[in-house]
Amino acid sequence: MVLLKNLQPPTEGVRHEQAETTAVMDGQRLGCGTLYVAETRLSWFDSSGLGFSLEYPSIGLHAISRDVSAYPQEHLYVMVNGKLNKENEAEMAEKAADDDDDDHDGSSDGGDDDEDEGTITEIRFVPSDKAALESMFSAMCECQALHPDPEDDDSDNDFEGEEYDVEEAEAEHGHADIPTFYTCDEGLSALTQEGQATLERLEGMLAQSVAQQYHMAGVRTEETKAEFEDGMEVDTAAMEAGQFEDADVEHW
Amino acid sequence: MDPMESKGAESQPSTVGPVEVVNSIRERTITENSMVILLQGLQGEVTTVDLRNESTARGRVVNVDAFMNIRLEDVLYRDRRGQLTQLQDLFITGRNIRYVHIPDHMDIMKTIESQLAKIHRVRNFGSEGGGRKEFAKKTK
Repeated sequence: MVLLKNLQPPTEGVRHEQAETTAVMDGQRLGCGTLYVAETRLSWFDSSGLGFSLEYPSIGLHAISRDVSAYPQEHLYVMVNGKLNKENEAEMAEKAADDDDDDHDGSSDGGDDDEDEGTITEIRFVPSDKAALESMFSAMCECQALHPDPEDDDSDNDFEGEEYDVEEAEAEHGHADIPTFYTCDEGLSALTQEGQATLERLEGMLAQSVAQQYHMAGVRTEETKAEFEDGMEVDTAAMEAGQFEDADVEHW
Repeated sequence: MDPMESKGAESQPSTVGPVEVVNSIRERTITENSMVILLQGLQGEVTTVDLRNESTARGRVVNVDAFMNIRLEDVLYRDRRGQLTQLQDLFITGRNIRYVHIPDHMDIMKTIESQLAKIHRVRNFGSEGGGRKEFAKKTK
């Protein structure tokens, strides 16, 4: 017997609401009620107001099942990691032990994998309106995407690098004001007197030819680099070579 | 393959606002700097996903987001006991995935490169005017 709690239906962020939906938990039919797919959690309530809620991080997968040979009615299948109610853990564990289960006391990966590899809860939401299954499924996908796994430490997801800042600048609709970009001053100080003279001469030539939109291939100037305000953190060596300066448009 | 734009739209909340922009930028950043970008190149391919609970799902990849949530269609799902079920649509939470099989015929490097190119195209498209600026009038 699954313990149902007297909870309130969500009022905000409800992406989908499906009435006349039967809930079946681990094979046990809980009755007919309304499914609420909200941004904060997934919940279901029967006509007397009793129900349960699921937190998205605990949901392992969800699916549309139209295979009537596997289950007689088309439904939304939800697999939850772990068991729903602490009070019923003993009962549920008993049921799980009957099945051919891997050991869920000690796992290969670590403590928190006990839930994943051992106990799961299978819930089926059977709407009377089968056509609604797609909307129910999509709404769950959207809500699930709002709850990324906080324990994911595979990669450094919070990027504080240059690239992240550039994108923020773009989002604010300003020209990327990148203080870390190479400036003319840095380059100039590295030039010899001869080099500086050459630079001035070339810049003069460029200034004359800009009106005709003519760039000499192979010319490299600091000025050209500074014009790149699209924020691409590209390999600047490619830019300096000036190979593509006579191209009109960059084709990807 | 669908363009990045529609992929992004699929995994974004329908509300418009600053949160959506941050998610999109953050997701691009994550994607660009992790192997998820390879998985995103699997769109349209039929492959097998091994879950951490020992079950497997084989179907066509509809979408993979930056958090490695995978959506499959026309799926053959085999649970831990070996029982087979057909599922029309399946969404697997990234956290629950152990392996994603890469089809043998896929060129991995090429896939990664083309996915990166798509991201760069999206990034340039987003800025004012788009594309390169060397022929534009200097505003500074």
